[in-house]
Amino acid sequence: MADERGDRPRDEGASGTPPIPRGWQRHPQERMLITPLMAGLGGLLVFFVVVAVVVWLPIHTFDPPASADWAPLSNEAHKGRNLFASNGCYVCHSGYSRPQDVREQLYFLYPKISQPGDFFGSDQSPNLLGTERTGPDLSQESGWHPDDWQFAHFYDPRFMDPKSLMPNMKSLFSDSQVTQLKAFVEERSGKSGLLRYAGQLYAKHVVLANQGFPEPYTGFQGAHKPIVESLPDSALNPPKNQLEEAPNLSQIDRSYWLSADPLPVTEANLLRGKEVFLERCVGCHGLKGDGKGPGARFLSPPPADFTDKDDACCGGDTGPGDFYYRILRGWTGTAMENFGDRLSVNDIWRVVLFVKTIPNGTLKPNRIPEPKDFIVWQPSKELLAWVKSHQTLTGNASFEKKQVTDPFMQQAMRIFPGLSPNDHIVLNDKANTPLSLEEAAAGIKAIYQDLLDRAWTDAKARGDKLPPAVQKAVPPEVPGE
Amino acid sequence: MGDRSLEGERPETAGMVTADAPAPLTARAGGANPFPDGAAKHWILWSIVWLTVVDLFGLVLATEFVSPEAFGGISWLSFSRVRPAHVNGVILAWLTMMYFGALFYMLPRLVGTRGMWSERLGIWCAWAWNLMYLLGIIGLLTGHSQGREYGEFIWPIDIALLVIWCANIWNILATVAIRTIRPIYVSVWFFIASPLWLAVDYAIGNVIWRPGHIWGAPSGALSGSLSDAMLNWWYAHNLFGLWLTPMLLALTYYIVPRVTNTPLYSYTLSLVSFWGMAFFYTGVGDHHILQSPTPAWLKTIAEVSSWMLLVPVFAFTINILGTMKGNWDRFFTNLPLRFTMTAFFFYFLVNIQGAFEAIQPFNKLTHFTNFVVAHAHLALLGAFTILGMGVIDYIVAQIYQKPLFSRSLSEWQYWLVTVGFTGFFSVLTLAGFQQGFSWQEGIPEVNVLPQLHAYYIARGIFGAMIVLSGIVQIVNIGMTVFTNTAERRRRETLRVAEAIAPPPVAG
Repeated sequence: MADERGDRPRDEGASGTPPIPRGWQRHPQERMLITPLMAGLGGLLVFFVVVAVVVWLPIHTFDPPASADWAPLSNEAHKGRNLFASNGCYVCHSGYSRPQDVREQLYFLYPKISQPGDFFGSDQSPNLLGTERTGPDLSQESGWHPDDWQFAHFYDPRFMDPKSLMPNMKSLFSDSQVTQLKAFVEERSGKSGLLRYAGQLYAKHVVLANQGFPEPYTGFQGAHKPIVESLPDSALNPPKNQLEEAPNLSQIDRSYWLSADPLPVTEANLLRGKEVFLERCVGCHGLKGDGKGPGARFLSPPPADFTDKDDACCGGDTGPGDFYYRILRGWTGTAMENFGDRLSVNDIWRVVLFVKTIPNGTLKPNRIPEPKDFIVWQPSKELLAWVKSHQTLTGNASFEKKQVTDPFMQQAMRIFPGLSPNDHIVLNDKANTPLSLEEAAAGIKAIYQDLLDRAWTDAKARGDKLPPAVQKAVPPEVPGE
Repeated sequence: MGDRSLEGERPETAGMVTADAPAPLTARAGGANPFPDGAAKHWILWSIVWLTVVDLFGLVLATEFVSPEAFGGISWLSFSRVRPAHVNGVILAWLTMMYFGALFYMLPRLVGTRGMWSERLGIWCAWAWNLMYLLGIIGLLTGHSQGREYGEFIWPIDIALLVIWCANIWNILATVAIRTIRPIYVSVWFFIASPLWLAVDYAIGNVIWRPGHIWGAPSGALSGSLSDAMLNWWYAHNLFGLWLTPMLLALTYYIVPRVTNTPLYSYTLSLVSFWGMAFFYTGVGDHHILQSPTPAWLKTIAEVSSWMLLVPVFAFTINILGTMKGNWDRFFTNLPLRFTMTAFFFYFLVNIQGAFEAIQPFNKLTHFTNFVVAHAHLALLGAFTILGMGVIDYIVAQIYQKPLFSRSLSEWQYWLVTVGFTGFFSVLTLAGFQQGFSWQEGIPEVNVLPQLHAYYIARGIFGAMIVLSGIVQIVNIGMTVFTNTAERRRRETLRVAEAIAPPPVAG
């Protein structure tokens, strides 16, 4: 018997023992007695009953088919995934976007809610859902940054974002490992991510050819190399009948080409601009603004140099609107990110104001930028002529009645918002490679197909579970924006 | 106070509540301990060392939150590698070793045997556990991990730990089998069931039938990502639900009646807490991924179970408070009891907090934030660790039959950990709300980090107090074990007596 005490009236007083609170103990039931067998086997029985419901049942009944957006990982990316898991990256970066994450302001991080079918496939084991976000969720990360940005960021995250708390990876990974990790980050978001990444690769190709720069270093090699130099002038051949900056302008929405800074040039605005510049921009553009920050060695094309007076006053693509647009939306194909999610519109305009004072030495320590340091930008005659001939409403996709539905064309329009469907320009490289929206869409599609094919072949060779081949043919969709 | 022991009642009944050797905390010098306690000693003393090690891991992490380059260039101190080492260390090295030590101390006293079935087996297991854990930690710090939260140890380590675990289960069951007191006390229910639950939980949760690539690539996971996630979180939560928490109950059910010399308030309520825990705790795991694309019915089960869990929690709470009735004076005078009741309070708080965290509206705000980190520390630090500190102070004095080296060191230990933890918890909770509300506003994670800087600094300072508390315990317990504290206490008493004695009258 467990406890018969309650069955007998207690003999109080006889031993001088004070009454002891007993509560419900007074009438225990004999059948409620627990023996070792009952504690062990009974405990396990209850345990297994619940396990059958909450573990066995969901695992054996919940098998969602691949979503339209799902894509397998290439071998390189698969190795990167293993590195991601075994080095604990998931402790700060979650692996799915929740319903409450998806909102307009965050379109670039969370363009869509993660679907059950996004986690199809045996290359997604172990799970990387994560439990905490110190850094951003990475489930939709693919394609927002080019490879060289990724390498610089892995080498030292403070190069790219001075506020970052991420540990540097230079002590963790070799060149080949960090390349695998990069591949995982760029391929993990399914087809929509591959589409974005294909856009990055295409734009990188355009930018490098147009400006005459070599391919960026891979892995961590940039850490030991000088900043890339542009190819000799003979490599470039700007066409006579075209504005030299036209290819650059094609990546800026045409309504910004001539726009002025809406904020007045005041000391307060300039000072705030300097503050933001020092907080966000010096990792690449350098403490002097000369484009020789610590991260610059990894990047090609290298970061912009703001110290040149001629550029500040008279460049074809260095107007306030151009700068504003590149800070707001980034410059696809270069390491310039979109800061639109992190900076207010006014702060971006203030940075634009401040950048125009840098040639006058305003980045020196303790130097307060003054309105007299500000260099006014004036559009050149050539630019005005170019704008007049090209910045027209007719043929502008935004004003067409019929929406474009082809995802590759959509991506091309997103990367080259300065091109209208009728525009056919050429790059400044020796061969004068043609550039138009159709060219871009076709190029992006080819890269996308190549990435997807490679991943499918690799997954098949690995013996992974794959959806029916029809799934592969479903075109990617670009959620968000 | 009067004599509250159950002397004179039926021996079995008395055994259920106060089967302990009749040795008060401040035993007389030279009093012999009738139990061998070899296994208990090994597990308990090693656990104290591990506590400081895993605390230091935590301090490394806290430092990296303030200054990410603080240990720049040392790959094995990288945040992402140290955090699994910290988490696994707290659970498997510090708390598990402390719990087994306490179990090996309490079980013979509760079932009336001379020590465990095999003290030697217990001692071997302690050394093997230390070795395996050390290897596991080295693996994690060099990037060998399964990559599944709370189940990071690689497959060979998993298997070794399970083998040791099963040896311990055998030792426990054999001891129960040779018991001389037939009815088993509440704590013993948990001592039997809880290791069994965890063995199964650990084996299933780590998917030990899929070793995969043992080196290089992660192993031990289900092939489907979401299935794996559901299993992962079921497993992870049951580390707490079926091992750490039941053992907290078992230890509290032992310490409180024993120290206050009062029988347990209610047998029936302890039944409720035992079966309720077994039934409701097993199904709550999915509340970790409430916003993930997993089946809605599983989320519902998790949410309902998380609330139903309050039934066994309240049963336990009422039971302990009933036992404490009339004994609260000892809360202030008896340090092990004060540790235990402080842990009891934090345990109650963590369950209330957890119930709210497990429902959608609240979860939406706090999920992925530091609020969850605060919650986890409330359980593992506020409840389990503080309980463990008290239990160790109690047990070591009993095993060695001598007073603790220094009462004031114990007081320092108590106040350092209590104040340190309370600050730590408050800071992280506030930081969690700051993150949650900022994210709701659409501010991206990286932009919220600068706002958290002050919280992170405060967290580091409070965390350092907690580390210090563990070091104080090492000093105190070490001096107790290795010096003659009884003699020291006697001399102190004599000195005091001399000081207050009237001066001798001349002539």
